[in-house]
Amino acid sequence: MREKLDALLKEGAGKIEAAQSEAELQEVKGSLLGKQGSITELLKEIPKLDVALRPEMGKAVNNAKNLLTEQIEGRREALKLKASEVSPDFDCTIPGIEPKAGGLHPITQMCYDLNDAFRSMGFEVFSGPEITSEYYAFDNLNFPPNHPARESMDTYWLEGHDSGEANDKLCLRPHLTGDSVRYMQTHKPPYRFVYPGRVYRNETTDARHERAFFQYEALIVDKDFTYTAGKVMIKSILSKVFGQDVPVRMRAGFFPFVEPGFEIDMGCLVCGGKGCSVCKHVGWIEIMPGGTPHPNVLRAAGLDPDEYTGFYVNIGLDRLVMMRYGVDDVRLFHSTDLRFLKQFH
Amino acid sequence: MKLSLNWIKDYVKLPEDMDLTRLAYDLTMSTVEVEGAENLAERFDKIVVGEIKEVLPHPNADKLRVCKVDVGDGEIKDIVCGGSNLEAGMKVVVACPGAMVRWHGEGEPVEIKNAKLRGVASFGMICASVEVGLCDLFPAAEEHEIMDVTAFDAPAGTPLADALGLNDIILEIDNKSMTNRPDLWGHYGIAREIAALYDLPLVQFEQYVPTTSESYDVRIKDSDRCPRYIGAKIEGLSVKPSPFEMQSRIWRVGMRPINALVDITNYVMLATGQPTHVFDSDHIIDHIEVRRAEEGEKLQLLNDKELALSSDDLVIADAEGAVALAGVMGGAKDSVLPDTDSVILEVANFESRGVRRTALRYDNRTEASSRYEKAVDPERCDQALSLAMQLFAELYPEMSVTAFNDLYVKKLERAEIDVELEWLDRRLGKRIPQEIVAKKLGTMGYEVTFTDTAMHIVVPSWRSTGDVSIKADIMEEVARMYGYENFEATTITTSFDGAINQLGVDLVRRIKEYLAFRCDMQEIFTYPWMTDEFVNALMPSTDGILALATPPSPNEKYIRSSLLPNICKAIVKNEHNFDEFDIFEEAQIFLDSDYTSEYAGEKLPCQRKHLGCAFVGSSDKLSELFRRAKGVIGSMPRYTHMESFTFEKNEKPYWADDTVWLNICLNGKKIGDLALLSKKAALACGIKVLSAVLVELDMDALIPLKSRTNRFARMPEFPMNDYDLSFLVDSAVKWDDIYACVMSKKNELLQDVIFVDEYKGKQIPAGKKSLTIRLIIGSGEKTLTGNEIDAVASAVIKRLAKNCGADVRTV
Repeated sequence: MREKLDALLKEGAGKIEAAQSEAELQEVKGSLLGKQGSITELLKEIPKLDVALRPEMGKAVNNAKNLLTEQIEGRREALKLKASEVSPDFDCTIPGIEPKAGGLHPITQMCYDLNDAFRSMGFEVFSGPEITSEYYAFDNLNFPPNHPARESMDTYWLEGHDSGEANDKLCLRPHLTGDSVRYMQTHKPPYRFVYPGRVYRNETTDARHERAFFQYEALIVDKDFTYTAGKVMIKSILSKVFGQDVPVRMRAGFFPFVEPGFEIDMGCLVCGGKGCSVCKHVGWIEIMPGGTPHPNVLRAAGLDPDEYTGFYVNIGLDRLVMMRYGVDDVRLFHSTDLRFLKQFH
Repeated sequence: MKLSLNWIKDYVKLPEDMDLTRLAYDLTMSTVEVEGAENLAERFDKIVVGEIKEVLPHPNADKLRVCKVDVGDGEIKDIVCGGSNLEAGMKVVVACPGAMVRWHGEGEPVEIKNAKLRGVASFGMICASVEVGLCDLFPAAEEHEIMDVTAFDAPAGTPLADALGLNDIILEIDNKSMTNRPDLWGHYGIAREIAALYDLPLVQFEQYVPTTSESYDVRIKDSDRCPRYIGAKIEGLSVKPSPFEMQSRIWRVGMRPINALVDITNYVMLATGQPTHVFDSDHIIDHIEVRRAEEGEKLQLLNDKELALSSDDLVIADAEGAVALAGVMGGAKDSVLPDTDSVILEVANFESRGVRRTALRYDNRTEASSRYEKAVDPERCDQALSLAMQLFAELYPEMSVTAFNDLYVKKLERAEIDVELEWLDRRLGKRIPQEIVAKKLGTMGYEVTFTDTAMHIVVPSWRSTGDVSIKADIMEEVARMYGYENFEATTITTSFDGAINQLGVDLVRRIKEYLAFRCDMQEIFTYPWMTDEFVNALMPSTDGILALATPPSPNEKYIRSSLLPNICKAIVKNEHNFDEFDIFEEAQIFLDSDYTSEYAGEKLPCQRKHLGCAFVGSSDKLSELFRRAKGVIGSMPRYTHMESFTFEKNEKPYWADDTVWLNICLNGKKIGDLALLSKKAALACGIKVLSAVLVELDMDALIPLKSRTNRFARMPEFPMNDYDLSFLVDSAVKWDDIYACVMSKKNELLQDVIFVDEYKGKQIPAGKKSLTIRLIIGSGEKTLTGNEIDAVASAVIKRLAKNCGADVRTV
């Protein structure tokens, strides 16, 4: 019996040590100390022993029982501290449960990024009506009376409102610049504001041209503002939006409502300015027009152009978003196709 | 527009070591966008002049020959060729191995390799003009004719580009970057800019002095549309090809040489930017007059288009009728003909907008009209005339001008501008030395006189047609020629008088972010125009809806008075790909009413910012769909910090299901709807499978809170107990009734009651439904015993049984 006990102790210690989880340990405990456990069975045999041997064996078995219990509890503590109590079969490559899948339109996201950047520099956010009079779409902005942009092949005039005086003619706004005059007429200088929104052009669509697209304009008007300060403004914004220092250059450009006008290029981020297919191998990407508000625009806003000057930029939001994600067809933005829109979460 | 650098060099002497990349960059920064610069000679790399020494038959092919050709490298090469005009002594174009050619002028260029043709080794290839891209200069009489360069004085082995004088750089200018610069649409104008950029001298045209005293009869009937017309009768001419260099230049910049007479006019235009024209003088009856066309007057153009003219069109006419569409295109029967031996040369100025209207009216924009419509100045006629006469004299030494008239009826006023120097310094942010300002402006043709405090500027004629008129223009001229990159960046100063606080702007963003990020909805954008089938499906009529005069398509005339038609269109679009989706759009809607004038001098129709939503899912789970929509909209005020609105049932939306609809009301006023799209409307929209609960809300009516208003509530010290009750009630009993009943009797231990579930199905008797609700029971003073909790619940059960007919199954 002594041998049997020693063997059980040894075997029990081995089993306890081998248990890899609390459940396994519980099983081991049952097999040793449970109702039908091997130690319990041994205890049951003690009364069958010679009387003289009983106390000694009884003590030995009880000691063994205590020892095993101690070992089991020790093992239980050790298992608790172990890194995993889960079967090694657990599959960590199983896919996660996706979080909720709602999202903002990629153009809204870009617009909000820009809003945040401009607001951090003290700009207000403004928006004007999408239907505008010819007066605010063109006349106020120094477009000559017969400018091609006014023709119906370029602008969506409203039925029943497509003739007469500039105040009577109504159209879907062909650009945002008219809203700058609205803001200036209703606020006091100096001005710092952005006015993002959708604009409309009556033209044939293709992968690069849309009838409805988004612009983002910003305007500073102050006394003695030099155009080089405009460059600082653009550089700050682009660097914030793209998260890195973006080289900017301003070159000669013409738009009726600015004088002087600029085409503003940013260094191509794809090739770092070395030249690639994205930038047509020139290292620069035309990103927006800008310039000093034309004196006639400032006059329309009720300001003296000798006193006030400033700086406009007009960012093509669709283009910027296309660049951000490599989207190759501008029409996708209005497609309402959720398979497209859900890619930008 | 394409420009030849060699041609530019006629007018401005560029330094030999001029870096082309630098030139393109500087022009781009200061004047026009240079999109590309091509070294023409590179196209003809490894293509040389070869001299055929002997032509032998090909042993294995009747149509091929084996030519013994000297390509200048000291040995005679065998070249197999199928040309029909091969003969010994002829100089031909040989594409050596490595050269790129187009087989028969078609497809992508391929590289020439040594090859065996029908068993005979051939070194490279003897080319037809089409294969090296020169068919415009060397037209082949028939398909198999190879290009003959015997006439060029070039020994065998001379690179073809050298032999033909094609060592030239072609600059490609983005036309859009110079629509405002009528002076730049010719080589001379760009040369002038380059001269100013690099402070180089510019060649001047000599004034033409007429040698005849005979006056040519020109009559201008509309001086507004034609300020100047020079007519010159030139005799002693013939139709012949122009010299190769002239043809080559015309070809290099993208036009086709025709014959010497036409080439002269095109050459003059490409050089000066001033279009000119020649008429066969035998066909001009009596005189030339410039007048408006008769309404319906017929004219057949050079490109054979037959026009019925409008009285807005300006024509060149003779005694019998129109002979040309002024500034656009000549007529077919009176222009240069094969037997023309005398011409009337036209150098004229036409008003820009009229030319544009006419060119657009007949969809007939030409090189000439696109220049006139930029507003060419009438003074430029002098340059064009001078160059044209010089070319006639060179090409036809025997020619004579037998009659001449320069009718300049509406003289151009040159713009004059005063610029205060202090203003200029202030705007530029730095002082540029007077001599630099004077020199740059001077080279560009400005006459500048300085006083102590200002400069007086007379703008050159070629910039006086609207381009330069105010002092900001002068500032731009100075800055761009000084170099935009040579101004130091200045920082932006600011004065602080408060933080940006735009409650409305912030609310819109919070709502959109709430819907997207908290409510799992996807934002979409749709066009403002609606498709008729959706308008008809969702609206009782089109009354009060605005329409476009020229819509994108005939069935997209109406612009949105509601966001829902386009949202339904989006549902149709996505129904195939998704079983369940929630979308929203924020955009302006337009109504033909309320013509208010918020801004001076304009009356605009009603325009409001709306929110449209669609909750789309299976028809089996209508209740869940409805609850999803109601939950999102109902919780919106709390999460987005605005005054809360209520759901009421006052006015069923036209498109809504008869039963499942609610109005959204704020301070007693309806500001939107939330409803199930009726089956009828859904089918009319083409929504085939899924059901949709739609929401439309007037966002301009929402009232943002100035700050957050919710207050902190102390956490309960003693446990709150959930107590679920399930019971049967009549289907018609509403949740509002249950809620009112449960909460009707004030019991301070009953904190709240929450809806858990509603069930109708097999186990439930007809006309009944099973409701599960949760009572929240607890006290602020102690932990309740089981008996105390049960007592609260029992009281509720009794009330529900009595007031709502509830049959409580489970406790």
